[in-house]
Amino acid sequence: METAATHPVSHAHGQLAHGHGHEHGHLKLHYQPALPISNGKLMMWLFLSTEIMFFAGLIAVYIVLRFGALTWPSQSAVHLEERIGFINTFVLICSSVTVVLSLEACRSHNPAMAKMWLAATLALGGVFLAIKAYEYNQKFSHGIYPRYPRSQIYERPDLEYGSAVRVRAQELLVPLQTAGYDKPLSAAQTRRLKRLEAAAQRSPQEEQAYRRLRARREGYERFRFLQDLKTRASSTQPDVLAALAAEIMPIRPRGSHEHLEGLNDLNPWLKMPIVIPGGNMWASTYFTLTGFHALHVLVGLIVFAIMMPMRFTPDRANMIENIGLYWHFVDIVWIFLFPLLYLF
Amino acid sequence: MSDHAVAHGTGHGGASHAHGGLGKYLAVFVALCGLSTASFFTTSQHWPYHDQPSVGWAFMMAVSCTKALLVVLFFMHVKYEANWKYVLTIPASLMALFLGLALVPDIGMRVRGGFNYGYSEERYRHAAQASDTLALEQASRRVGAHSKGANSESLHSEGAHGEGAHGARGNAASGGQGH
Repeated sequence: METAATHPVSHAHGQLAHGHGHEHGHLKLHYQPALPISNGKLMMWLFLSTEIMFFAGLIAVYIVLRFGALTWPSQSAVHLEERIGFINTFVLICSSVTVVLSLEACRSHNPAMAKMWLAATLALGGVFLAIKAYEYNQKFSHGIYPRYPRSQIYERPDLEYGSAVRVRAQELLVPLQTAGYDKPLSAAQTRRLKRLEAAAQRSPQEEQAYRRLRARREGYERFRFLQDLKTRASSTQPDVLAALAAEIMPIRPRGSHEHLEGLNDLNPWLKMPIVIPGGNMWASTYFTLTGFHALHVLVGLIVFAIMMPMRFTPDRANMIENIGLYWHFVDIVWIFLFPLLYLF
Repeated sequence: MSDHAVAHGTGHGGASHAHGGLGKYLAVFVALCGLSTASFFTTSQHWPYHDQPSVGWAFMMAVSCTKALLVVLFFMHVKYEANWKYVLTIPASLMALFLGLALVPDIGMRVRGGFNYGYSEERYRHAAQASDTLALEQASRRVGAHSKGANSESLHSEGAHGEGAHGARGNAASGGQGH
């Protein structure tokens, strides 16, 4: 820092001397930047300061929405697993360490080692995104999307929800009726099915008949099951509708650690509308925050991938340092997102 | 720390500082892992403040700030940078803070903002309430108790496989083949 103070003076001197036409062969003029850092690093820090505001805005919106809401879903209600978030935190911390080690290796004239650590960072970033993709997929399979019409989330078990369940049940009932599964097997057919089931060996014709009868029996079971759901969804009683919603997708009471499975989990084809109070706002904030963060991870990975073929001689250290700064920033964002989304 | 003085003395573009030391990075790494585990600990049964969630929230935010500080100071080398670091980080952080505070009146108080300010009566009536969550949790508890005992026979009944979960799954699979 002393140099930063003393250099400009000596420069002024030098220029002054030069202007007067004196020859000072020993005096070397060189450009003194306004800040004692490279342009690339300055740009990266300016960019990061805008990124601070970008993510602070998003995180603040989440906090403010969440604590201003009338009710907010618990982690288990939205199928969020704290463990997975914790693993991802660990993965990202490791990747921050590897990028720092890559920089150190590059500075100490060890290009091969630098490349190795950078490859490790790339791999860890990939693991992070893969885990994130798995989590997104888990949400989607439970009907949790950030917006309608894909989102199956209803805010409360009210008449609107009941009618949505009826519509979905009807959607599933129509093909069953068309296929003729709305009538039970006759007594003779039931007997035949029992006989075929018990048979040790079946001829091709028998096998065909067996399959047809079995499909009819199961189709009828499904038909009755859906009819029953439809009847219950037609109720105007709040407690009947709440019980129906809880059966379709139970919400684990706070403090309990029991694993509950609903009809949607047991029958993946069912895809009934679900009730998660506050779930729509939750989905909006969750996908916005983690989506923008994942996008930043992806951009980092693209830059790492572009850098991979390079030879990391010490003059490339600035480059690794700058992308490293970005990568650490992405890590810091996750450090805040993890407790806010998974543990609050 | 005697080596920074030397590094700053050479001060070309600030890029060639050598503050590393594997040991220091390893220590920071271990600290970060430990702090993450400390945050995660708030979900465990041994965390004593489950009835006062705000204690856990404050704890987790303190831990997160510490972690962020460790990353910024050591991994981003900010500890060893010249004074420009304040110029680039402090204004941005302050603006970020104001940005968050500016959201409170409009968005934070959008529901219960008081007279003529929060949700309209109609919107309030259709919004999910804490009572909805409670009702669903209670109903779910009953569902859980049911599925433990006699299986909910009215729904996936008379299956030859008929053992609740597996029966229904079997139905779905074989039904698909049947078509």
